[in-house]
Amino acid sequence: MKKMFPKLTASLAVCSLVASASFATDMIKIGVQAPITGQYANEGQSIDNGVKLIVEQLNAKGGVLGKKIEVITCDDQGAAQQAAICAKKLVNEGVKAVIGSYTSGATEAAQTTYNRAGVLQTSDGTSDSLIAHKYWTFFRNSFPNSAEAEYTAKYFVDGKKYKKIVILSDYSSYSTDLADATTKALKAKNANIIYEGKIKSGTQNFTATLTKIKSMDPDVIYFSGYYTDGGLLRAQQEQLGIKADFVGGDSNDNPDYIKLAGESAKGTLLINVPTPDILPYDIAKTFLVDYKAKYSMAPASIWSLMNVDGLRAILHVMEQTKSEDTKVIAEGLHNLKDFPGITGPVTFREDGERIGGGYMTYEVQADKSYKIVYQ
Amino acid sequence: MMSKTSLIATLLLVFMGCFPLFVDSAWLAVGTTFLVYAVVAFSQDIILGRAGVFHMGHAAFFGLGAYTTAILNVNFGLPILATWAPAVLVPMVVAFIVVAPIIHLRGDYLLVATIGLNIIFIQVLENDVFGLTGGPNGLFGIDVVKLFGYDFSSQTHMYYMAFILLGLTLLIMRNLDKSKFGRAMFYIHKDEIAAQSMGINVRYFKLYAFILGAGIAGAAGSMFSVQYSAVSPEAFNVTQSIMFFTIVLVGGSASLPGVLIGTFIMFVLPEMFREFETARYLVFGIAMILTMILRPRGIWPVRFGNIPDFLKKGVK
Amino acid sequence: MDIFLQQMVNGLTIGSLYALVALGYTMVYGVMRLINFAHGDLVAFSAFIGLSVYAQIFGESATSLIVVITVFVFTAAIVAFVGVLLERLAYRPLRTAPRLSAVVSALGAGLVIQNSVMLIWGPNMKIFPSNLFPATIWEMGGIVITFTQVMILGVSSLLMVGLYFFIHQTKIGTAIRAVAIDQDAAKLMGINVNRIIMIIFIIGSALGAVAGLFIGTYYRGITFDMGWMYGLNAFVAAIMGGIGNIPGAMLGGLLLGLFNAMITGYISTQWAETFTFVLLIGILVLRPTGILGETVAEKV
Repeated sequence: MKKMFPKLTASLAVCSLVASASFATDMIKIGVQAPITGQYANEGQSIDNGVKLIVEQLNAKGGVLGKKIEVITCDDQGAAQQAAICAKKLVNEGVKAVIGSYTSGATEAAQTTYNRAGVLQTSDGTSDSLIAHKYWTFFRNSFPNSAEAEYTAKYFVDGKKYKKIVILSDYSSYSTDLADATTKALKAKNANIIYEGKIKSGTQNFTATLTKIKSMDPDVIYFSGYYTDGGLLRAQQEQLGIKADFVGGDSNDNPDYIKLAGESAKGTLLINVPTPDILPYDIAKTFLVDYKAKYSMAPASIWSLMNVDGLRAILHVMEQTKSEDTKVIAEGLHNLKDFPGITGPVTFREDGERIGGGYMTYEVQADKSYKIVYQ
Repeated sequence: MMSKTSLIATLLLVFMGCFPLFVDSAWLAVGTTFLVYAVVAFSQDIILGRAGVFHMGHAAFFGLGAYTTAILNVNFGLPILATWAPAVLVPMVVAFIVVAPIIHLRGDYLLVATIGLNIIFIQVLENDVFGLTGGPNGLFGIDVVKLFGYDFSSQTHMYYMAFILLGLTLLIMRNLDKSKFGRAMFYIHKDEIAAQSMGINVRYFKLYAFILGAGIAGAAGSMFSVQYSAVSPEAFNVTQSIMFFTIVLVGGSASLPGVLIGTFIMFVLPEMFREFETARYLVFGIAMILTMILRPRGIWPVRFGNIPDFLKKGVK
Repeated sequence: MDIFLQQMVNGLTIGSLYALVALGYTMVYGVMRLINFAHGDLVAFSAFIGLSVYAQIFGESATSLIVVITVFVFTAAIVAFVGVLLERLAYRPLRTAPRLSAVVSALGAGLVIQNSVMLIWGPNMKIFPSNLFPATIWEMGGIVITFTQVMILGVSSLLMVGLYFFIHQTKIGTAIRAVAIDQDAAKLMGINVNRIIMIIFIIGSALGAVAGLFIGTYYRGITFDMGWMYGLNAFVAAIMGGIGNIPGAMLGGLLLGLFNAMITGYISTQWAETFTFVLLIGILVLRPTGILGETVAEKV
């Protein structure tokens, strides 16, 4: 025992030095939980870039409530388990709010941890299930799947009058949710759905499923999953000679979709809220210019901009209520009406849902540009 | 006076016990993760390091424990404490059922078979079997440990629970070494065919090791799910199994300090050096190759399989 | 009937790819008793190298037979070189070490290759140009075969037949078979075992490179971590056909591809891998030497 005592005191001394260094400074910490690596890396990095841009601009003007803002980013790789781990990490770091994540699955896995810790969370995830718990800490900065489903049903039945519809989704919560909502909306309009199927995201080879679909001779194949699979589905659909329209849900709206589909991208129909360059708001135009100036490229998609709006809304309310108390900020956010956002006026409902929004259908042209064909 | 290893071991235990007193919750979470993964690594060591079974699907048992707790708590509303026993038993039963028919397979074949079992497990999880497993996004909203109305939800609480679990595991392993099982393991490790000719039922002991390892991993899994409030398939996939497999071999089979060092390198260092996150696996890969070339028996090998000193009592 | 035949075409195509990769595994295992876990990652690496070779030499546009052959040959050469490097650095020092050490080294090598790919080409999916092979499609009686599929089936078959004759009709091939049966005896016969092992890695890696390029042209989207699953499936195929047995690997690959397509097409996409591994475990328990049997005996 005598021999151990000096060793013990030494280690305790060293550790307390280390410990004191970690209890830091007077900054407001904001967390970013996004897929910085993995298949949605370009979306995740874009969200991170957007947040950092806004924070940089604000810090140059003195920050918020007189304090500078520090951004702590955690890579959740677009996966639920990593998201849970990131949530724990960011909470332990003492963040006030988290922008995250890009996918509904990663968002949902982290929700409980943030809620228990009283940390605000805003995400572009569109799964209706995200609002199911009505967590006071959660604010959706995009529009829910059910809104998109209503629009899709209207387009399919009233607009295109499709007679034989195939619905494909993958196993993610977002995609399943969107497909279910769309199916429900279509059935409410008495549409004829001849097949509801699932593909496994990332398996790249969908010829088996598509062959099965070919024999049913559909008018349209609707895919509610992500662009990484959508592009390949479209390419393989054309390879197999299936002569149906291909309609992709909002997560297919990404430049990589066009790259993956190659020649087959032409003629694809995509349903989404307006793309960044069509946004009519001045704030939007300024933001796009600033983003391009700092990062030499455009933001990945409208989703990064929505997340940025979430951040802006939180910081705005923080300044307004002059409080760092997340409960106070949350109340302020719930009462927020028509806050001028990059993606339009931001208004939150009492359960955290964002109200507003309008969808469009784009047709991909031969020169890779979009043409609006239905509103 | 205590031997050098015992001294280091005691110091380490004291240090880890006092750890929560001088770090903040971010580091405490790292510490808790270390403890939980160390328990799993030790349970893999029982199977791979001691019994010599080529097993690369251990994350499945870890996952079985985690999911058992998650399913019973989220889908059936059972309090966390009530899920501990099932979390240990379910992996043990599953281990018995699926491994018994294949335990006789030759090394490399068994390796691939265990990988296959892990993959099947992941598919069962991802396909939301019986609507219980939650699909690729897993289950979330897992509760915390509650006893007599008191919430054991702080990071410190979780740390100590994991610490106690590690202590229990080490105790079990120590007792194992001194038991009939331990002696059989020494013999099998030294020369399997000789052991068989002496009448040792090799299959029985290997299966025993498997089931025991599975149960311990299950307990760790339960702790994991409470720590993160969410479980999903990718935390228990083949890549994780490979991590555990590597920890045991790179650290040193059947070596207590070796396994701890291995766990530290694989799971704690990346936390400390977040800037190198992208190159992390590259560094691991190179380290794995170099370690095997320079020290094929691990960073801290022990002489396992020779008659241990306590059995040689009285003999000079 | 149409769907069945179409699934068969799809299945045989994938099966050919599995077969090419399986050959690399089976040759290495047959001679060195080592599961070359890094092989799958080498295949993924080939796809990326091929993409870069194509981009650097030809830019985004042109395509012709010369282009295709150049890309394939260049890529195969580079990958074969990396394969030899792999053997020299990660496996040769461990020839006399315990078996498990070599396994860890193989896993480590796989990680190194995979992450090198990630660091060099970035973590995002890269996309193969769609015009490398003409987009011609043949439709016969309801089933569709694309030009790419025909290329895959044709080239793979040629390579496999070529390899078979090489192994059975040439002196080097006989030497390879000798080393697979008994390394020490082969040495006594004057065979340079190190050289034979190097040749095996060259051939295996080159075949893997061809597979990698075809995977790139067929699936179009390539990610740095796609090698692992291919490798594992290919190894399963090798075991099914009889590990160490070259025709076995070819047969195993094709059968696995067909099996996979049938399960995916007729039963479900979600359980495809489960079926594959249940099949594997079944074979291991009932007939561990595989369909065509193993060429090695176990020394006691």
